[in-house]
Amino acid sequence: MADPLERLTNLLALLLETREPLTLERIAHELTDQYPDGEAARRGAFERDKTVLRELGITIEQEVLGGDQAGRTAYRIDRRRYELADLDLTDDERRALQLAVAAAHSDDSWGQDGLWKLGVGSEQPSLAVAARVPTFDVLPPLQEAVTSRATAEFSYRDTVRVVNPYGLLLRDGRWYLIGHEHAHNEQRTYRVDRIEGSVAIGEAGSFERPAKFDIREAFPADPRLMGDPDTEISVARVRIDASRGWHAAGELGLTGFGTPNPDGSMTVDVPCLNRFAFHTWLLGFGEHAVVEGPAEIRDETIQWLNEIVAAANAGDR
Amino acid sequence: MAKRGPRPAHERLKRLLVMLPWLMQREEVSVAEMAAHFALTEAELIADIERASMCGLPPYQDELIDVYIDEGMVCVGVRRLFTRPLRLTAPEGFALLVAGRSAMQLPGADPTGPLGRALDKLAIELGDDGVVVDLDRPEAADELATAATSGERLRMSYWTPSRDEVTNRDVTPRAVFTDSGHWYLLADDHRTGEERIFRIDRIMAIEATGVFDAARDVVVPDARTWFIGDPDFERVTLRMPTDMLWMIERYPTDSITQDESLADMSIVVLAVTGEQWLSRLLLRLGASAVVLQPERWSSLAAVAAQAVLRRYGVESNET
Repeated sequence: MADPLERLTNLLALLLETREPLTLERIAHELTDQYPDGEAARRGAFERDKTVLRELGITIEQEVLGGDQAGRTAYRIDRRRYELADLDLTDDERRALQLAVAAAHSDDSWGQDGLWKLGVGSEQPSLAVAARVPTFDVLPPLQEAVTSRATAEFSYRDTVRVVNPYGLLLRDGRWYLIGHEHAHNEQRTYRVDRIEGSVAIGEAGSFERPAKFDIREAFPADPRLMGDPDTEISVARVRIDASRGWHAAGELGLTGFGTPNPDGSMTVDVPCLNRFAFHTWLLGFGEHAVVEGPAEIRDETIQWLNEIVAAANAGDR
Repeated sequence: MAKRGPRPAHERLKRLLVMLPWLMQREEVSVAEMAAHFALTEAELIADIERASMCGLPPYQDELIDVYIDEGMVCVGVRRLFTRPLRLTAPEGFALLVAGRSAMQLPGADPTGPLGRALDKLAIELGDDGVVVDLDRPEAADELATAATSGERLRMSYWTPSRDEVTNRDVTPRAVFTDSGHWYLLADDHRTGEERIFRIDRIMAIEATGVFDAARDVVVPDARTWFIGDPDFERVTLRMPTDMLWMIERYPTDSITQDESLADMSIVVLAVTGEQWLSRLLLRLGASAVVLQPERWSSLAAVAAQAVLRRYGVESNET
């Protein structure tokens, strides 16, 4: 039996160079002594080889023959689908891509595998700037679905979602998918790291992306703004102490500071529709931030804190 | 090169399909250069080239891949078969795009430079991909990256949240990087004489010193792991609602397990960067989170809550 690398290489060469699709019998005949003799064993080995080639991104076209070969399946590889178009990269452009892949270091080898195809080597330059970019196996198929306008189907929070994917956004170190969800018939945002299992891609060209879609704008604003806008208080007035307050405010994502009070503290209006998100933000300051109003929000904060004290008391008994 | 086991056929084929077109364009390359380019040992490269030279088209006499090794050189005879590289797979295309777009947002990137042009050319191959990378770079990152390149010492005031104090220190920046939504400075800290990592959003002021240190290569670490396993950090064991685990997902945890007696609750072992940090975290988690270990922290949340309540003029019952 031939070396597996040899057989795979010969199979690939044959399917690329053939002028007409070839049946498995013909392939086995051409690749003399490289496939097993028994029909079942031969079919099994051929299917394994096809899987290896598919995983390398090589599509084997198959068609059912007519005439005296009626009903038999024949195979070939379409050269146009196999070959990389000539991107005509200059040396400095190749070098720039190499630096980019090194700077955006991730845990997978996808970037380097791609660089090799573009003629760029595996040197690891030392850099003074870098971004660690998270990757997930579902990202490339999602991107393919976005590009080809194909529906994406995946499980999220134990529910199967079918989505027209509009785009992917990396923000705050996380990947988000935004698209039109079929069941609720509305635009939704999903955290890619919470997608469970794999993504099934539907037919290409099955939807149109809205012409003015801009993923940066489509991304839901501050989570503290989410809630039911008609019935609830939407803004709380918070006073943050002078010492580190203004600085911590920037760190916690608060923008648009007010003017300082005479004692150096800062009073700011903070979205609070989502009370839970508001409190987890507020209490990150510890005792250095106080809700000044409205009274209803202030009372909720006091209740939150009293419950912590009460829970500790209960735990002591 | 690290030792490793025999390489499986599909790995060898994958590498061969990028090596052959590259080689055919060059016609003659030294074994050493080609092995380094493709991250192989010379023995691996020679084995694969020799194997490839036995492959081709039936009847495997004339129509073979015409490559051979001669006096330390890999050579091409007649250019035929596998002359063109294989298309980028979805993961490869995705990785190149994201790397390129990320690098475009790093300090010093030039949108009209070679990277921008390379990305434009890639877009022709990959189509309208709909991928946006938003690294939200702080203003100070550019100044720090410039200093990391020149080796200039900076004087900075830095806020340490675990102690809630601002300190002044002289540092020599070595690298600027972003990870999980935060930006960091890796620098030599001249106060301690050690390499340290600072969060850029906690740097309150920067001043140039005009002093330059010799360049030094550094390894940019992975933020999620850099203090896991560091015995200097104490551990806390918490019981908290499973649906609130997202609140701690950015902190290094040793373990997260389902509570055996309470459904919907999880047991979390977390590295603690400081007592004040932990008390703030407990305030944010609210009444449903409980410290299980160590015992001396079991009333930490209540004490912190009482301190905040005093700001509201509320005195609660002592615990």
